[in-house]
Amino acid sequence: MARVVLENVVKTYGSVRAVNDVSFTVEDGEFVALVGPSGCGKTTTLNLIAGLIPISGGDIHIGDRLVNDLDPKDRDIAMVFQNYALYPNKTVFKNLAFPLQMRKMPKAEIAAKVNEAARVLDIERLLQRKPRELSGGQQQRVALGRALVRDPRAFLMDEPLSNLDAKLRVQMRTELKRFHQELGATVIYVTHDQLEAVTMADKMAVMSGGNLQQYDSPKRVFDHPVNMFVAGFVGSPAMSLIPLQLDNVAGTLSLKSEAGWSLPLSEANAAKARNTSSRNVVLGARHSTVRLHTQAQAGAIPGVTYTVEPTGDVTFVQIDLGGAIVIVSLDPNIEIRADQPVWLEFDQERIHLFDGETERALRAS
Amino acid sequence: MSATAPSRPRSRKATDWWRWSGRIYLVLLLLFTALPMFWMVLTSIKTQFAAMQYPPQWWPAEPTLENYTKLLDPRNSVGHEFLLYFWNSLKVSVLTTILGVFVAVPAAYAFSRFRFPGRTFLFFSVLLRNMFPAVVFLMPLFILMRWLGLVGSHGSLVLTYLTFGLPLSIWLLKGFFDNIPIQLEQAARIDGATRFQAFLLIVMPLSTPGIIATSIFSFIGAWNEYVYALTFLNNKDRLTLPVGIQRYFTEFATDWPGLMAATFLMSVPVVVLFLVLQKYFVKALTEGAVKH
Ligand SMILES: Nc1ncnc2c1ncn2[C@@H]1O[C@H](COP(=O)(O)OP(=O)(O)O)[C@@H](O)[C@H]1O
Ligand SMILES: [Mg+2]
Repeated sequence: MARVVLENVVKTYGSVRAVNDVSFTVEDGEFVALVGPSGCGKTTTLNLIAGLIPISGGDIHIGDRLVNDLDPKDRDIAMVFQNYALYPNKTVFKNLAFPLQMRKMPKAEIAAKVNEAARVLDIERLLQRKPRELSGGQQQRVALGRALVRDPRAFLMDEPLSNLDAKLRVQMRTELKRFHQELGATVIYVTHDQLEAVTMADKMAVMSGGNLQQYDSPKRVFDHPVNMFVAGFVGSPAMSLIPLQLDNVAGTLSLKSEAGWSLPLSEANAAKARNTSSRNVVLGARHSTVRLHTQAQAGAIPGVTYTVEPTGDVTFVQIDLGGAIVIVSLDPNIEIRADQPVWLEFDQERIHLFDGETERALRAS
Repeated sequence: MSATAPSRPRSRKATDWWRWSGRIYLVLLLLFTALPMFWMVLTSIKTQFAAMQYPPQWWPAEPTLENYTKLLDPRNSVGHEFLLYFWNSLKVSVLTTILGVFVAVPAAYAFSRFRFPGRTFLFFSVLLRNMFPAVVFLMPLFILMRWLGLVGSHGSLVLTYLTFGLPLSIWLLKGFFDNIPIQLEQAARIDGATRFQAFLLIVMPLSTPGIIATSIFSFIGAWNEYVYALTFLNNKDRLTLPVGIQRYFTEFATDWPGLMAATFLMSVPVVVLFLVLQKYFVKALTEGAVKH
């Protein structure tokens, strides 16, 4: 296993910058999720690491080698594709054996390795079948097996679970994570599902429009999103973002809404707000950090419930604060209905502030 | 096929009616295509005298295989000529087919996989040849072949037939390659294959039905072609079957049974080819490369 380093990597298609100046380091044995909405450049980044498409700028290192100009076969990596890419005319056994044959391994050794991988993945009974005779979940395992039969320097996976049904996806998620822990493998895992990234990865690289937005541990990304995009992308339901105006009354900073209410800022938050020249500040709050009252409360902001979505474990309530919608999670036993007047209390310790113009998070300097 | 429900008979009758008219239609179609062949075979086992009788004798009173034995015996002058023409035809057709595959496969692969300037223009200009009747090119190609010093050679025919067969081959094969997910090649390259190995070991086997189907097309096209062979070949020993048969058997007076026997023998390779490869052929035209 090896570390993978991307330095200012660029990929252009004509005038389109599919990957724009992306840099990050995947340490040896780390599980990194490349996450972002569809079309943000995840697959392109992965294909650049694999060497399947030529790089337009920057450097990629795998281990201690600069691999920019190396063929995929010489990069010593394994890849799992979204559509599995099993060789349709080969049996499962031959699919698993192919990477070893290509490396001129002796026959007996190939058989041993293939059987071992099949045992680990519990697909021994399927070895003589053709891919089209397998279920989606079985195909997925074979695809994984083809990556596991050899000891590559890194595993690349491009949305490997997205074609599975929800239940199987959760099950495979657990298994993948266990494999990673047991093998100590370096894994770069592409997904558009932020939940997959958060649950599996040591670090996540959040991408948007070809740019790397944030590269950090899931917890850090969740607790300290660097901008409004990351804040809105990570976490489900998404963080509520409320555009407000900064108001300075005799040295006391508060956030004013067009609907008329205002929220005086705590000392710590006021310090952050002083770091922007913009008057537009966006308040971010995750559903679990907002308290809801059904009675008027001093300092709480009045609103009206919009929709109520019980999920069983928690009930999500959307509240209209005069133009801005805020999502709050509640204990399912609390009685609440739509169009009911409510009062919201924000936890100043856990709200996020963003510059309304640059969309960057405001930090205390 | 059990009909019990009381409401069924009506609809059953309707389907029966459809099925029967379908069958009748197919039988008519079969008669239409098979009768001339049948007549050809019957005539080929008649004597010259029986073949010319009027009213025609359907089933020969004294069937004979003499026409065939003559044709297949190299010591006989007829047989000598026939076998020579057969060999010429086989040579030209096989060469056309093999060269066609060697040109069409890489061309179709490039059209399918690579983006390059002028790709669309080139791809459609490949089809240009097929937008004109073949005879339009007779004189230009003749002049070209004369300039190349190829007139009278089998090479002139192979080159010509290649240009006729390639557009269809390239289009059909491109469709095949388009249907093979690029990820299969990518997987192979990551698994340790070179680009060429990925093509040879993964893509080629998946497109075998397409390659076979296009091969059959080019073979038949070359095997049956008449006008160009008639124009380009001037040496009697180089003639291909369609021209050779026509020349030989109608030189003085038409030997109908001999002509029919020769024609029948000429159709044998095509029929055999179809029978042996029909599995692939059907697959190519119905399934495409990768069954979804
Ligand atoms: N071969 C290509 N030619 C032109 N544009 C491409 C090509 N491949 C990808 N792109 C563009 O690059 C961007 C990123 O694509 P991709 O990496 O596949 O996104 P993701 O995997 O995150 O959904 C998209 O806007 C896509 O249209
Ligand atoms: Mg993708």
